[in-house]
Amino acid sequence: MRHFLWMAVFAALTAVVFGAVAKGTGRDRVIYGLKVFGEFMLIGLVLGWLLYFLPLR
Amino acid sequence: MASKEINARSTVATPTGAWLIGVASWAVPGLGHLLQRRWVRGLLLGGAVWIMFLLGLALGGHLFAISSKDQGLAALVQGLPMIANLGAGLLYIFCWIANTGFVENAQLVTSEYGDKFLLVAGLLNYLAMLDAFDIAAGRKK
Repeated sequence: MRHFLWMAVFAALTAVVFGAVAKGTGRDRVIYGLKVFGEFMLIGLVLGWLLYFLPLR
Repeated sequence: MASKEINARSTVATPTGAWLIGVASWAVPGLGHLLQRRWVRGLLLGGAVWIMFLLGLALGGHLFAISSKDQGLAALVQGLPMIANLGAGLLYIFCWIANTGFVENAQLVTSEYGDKFLLVAGLLNYLAMLDAFDIAAGRKK
């Protein structure tokens, strides 16, 4: 759970910066920031599950 | 045709103030936007970078620096993340002067997270710096 929490914090802070420097109206920036946050979380979860099934140990 | 060539070749000089804003933005995350009265953007960008940097230290992350014993590939391995860390501006320099945050805490579970937070805080501040510079140069609203 701790890993997920820190991943979410990382994604949120990065999304804030990406959204703030994006072009367009305020609404466009908020939507872009939310999109970046969602993408970070989704890709993180997918990669996490992929690595879980890989016999790395 | 000729006018197009002239336009393509002509360059608009970047105002000196834009360079100063860029330096201020690098030195203190968020300051470049605040100086241009972009309050919300400045607080969001500066706040995110500051929080990320401080969280990185709190999680046990460490900052990178090139020492005199690093030669060749070792200098490159240390140098690239150091450039990322250096993006945090005076935060990095303060830690360097105070000799804080340069010790690796591999025994901590969250130390790897801390490393990434510190690296990305610097990289995001480079992004914020370019944004502040573009606004000051009139290239962006």
